[in-house]
Amino acid sequence: MNGLKAAVVLFVAALLQLSVLSAYHPFRASSVVLVALLSIALLRGSLFGAVAGFGIGLVLDCATLGTLGVTSLLLTIGGFWIGRYGETTARDRFHAPYLSVLVVTCVYAFGQLVLQFVLGEPAPAAAVVHALPLGVVVNLLLTLPVYALVRRLFPPAELSERVREVRLLG
Amino acid sequence: MPRNRTVRLAVLGSSVQRAAASGYPSTRSSALKRRIVVGGLVLLSLVLITVSFRSTALDGFQGTAASALRPFEVAATRVSAPFRDAVGWFDGVLNAKAENARLKRKIAALQAQLATDQGAIDENLGLKAALHYQGPPTVAKDYRPVAAAVLSNPLSPIDESITVTAGTSAGVEAGDPVVAPAANGGLVGIVSRAASDSARVTLITDSESQVAGVDNSSPSAQGLVRRGGGPGDTLVFARVPKQAPVNPGDTIVTMGSLGGTYQSLFPANIPVGTVAYVNDSDVSTFHEIQVNPFVNLGDLRTVVVLVKKHR
Repeated sequence: MNGLKAAVVLFVAALLQLSVLSAYHPFRASSVVLVALLSIALLRGSLFGAVAGFGIGLVLDCATLGTLGVTSLLLTIGGFWIGRYGETTARDRFHAPYLSVLVVTCVYAFGQLVLQFVLGEPAPAAAVVHALPLGVVVNLLLTLPVYALVRRLFPPAELSERVREVRLLG
Repeated sequence: MPRNRTVRLAVLGSSVQRAAASGYPSTRSSALKRRIVVGGLVLLSLVLITVSFRSTALDGFQGTAASALRPFEVAATRVSAPFRDAVGWFDGVLNAKAENARLKRKIAALQAQLATDQGAIDENLGLKAALHYQGPPTVAKDYRPVAAAVLSNPLSPIDESITVTAGTSAGVEAGDPVVAPAANGGLVGIVSRAASDSARVTLITDSESQVAGVDNSSPSAQGLVRRGGGPGDTLVFARVPKQAPVNPGDTIVTMGSLGGTYQSLFPANIPVGTVAYVNDSDVSTFHEIQVNPFVNLGDLRTVVVLVKKHR
């Protein structure tokens, strides 16, 4: 059931990004798909985040007729990483979604740049650097409504259920 | 009784047993499973990148998937159209006064120029007919226009491409030029990849795009129109010799080609943009020319793909 809900949320986010938001310049540097994915990964863990990231990345690559696998790779890593953060140190911290979006937006932009460069395609670093501040701000603004919506759809598990192993040092 | 408040005692020495929770992956087996799944997905992504980049084996799958997604994208575009129109209306109202004054000035200037140009056009047509002149391919004569809606605009600052709703089923192929609809007609870009019902168009602002252009008012000013160094949609008209006169406000059009081994992909006389700024430095043998494209490449809704009548 969670998988279906996540698929619907990410698919709607992808359509919104492809057909609506990409027409407006400020949203070109941001990504509602990335924000939705990170919110889901934060609440449902690394495995869920990685699989969801791979799936929605594939959808985006197919829709834009881009090189298959590029967006999948970046979103798989982003979903996994933030999922791990959600499973470990980010529990019940107010700043966790904002910090995740801030960091992953930057890493995603530069990751995309590096992949383009490795593939021998145009990789204008200046364009990325110029667009990044606006992208970060818009993504952070999107985080508030998107995370609230995703949290409503995927209520976080109780803390007592999550903690089941303690490692003692010394 | 001695007090012994170590953490070890608190956790391990306690007689109270904690209930084992379930459902979350923290054990070693689930950690292994997690690593295997993520590693597999990363590997699969790398395989997809390699195959997609090096061959056309996945093009069929990608084209089918793009066709399957198309109805959803079209529906989303239609649902959002009223909101986009509302935003456009408010934007238009805010800029209407300044734009009105600017357009009035432009109309007055163009009317004066039209009277001068009409005589030259008639004379030019008469001379061409008399000489049986064979010029470069032109849009009207050698190309069939295929109108297409824009499915998606660029998704990131380094992605200078759009997806449109015309594909190989409409005769569109990689390398076909793309222009804005007739009211504007400016150059948009070139088809870089075509699926059955959709195509990817690389914009003229892409850093690998170069278009042979010529100044309409100064035929000796020929050069390459390509992406400017800064952010945004600004272009530069490069490699134009200093001897050729170029002035702000001049129109740059595609040059086309008369034939030869390396023919231009673009037909002649498609408007590209207007010269915004000209600078000449002492050390350079070429002008530094900045060009504003005719088309607002960031907000395209429809385009026209020019399909060659005879391939």
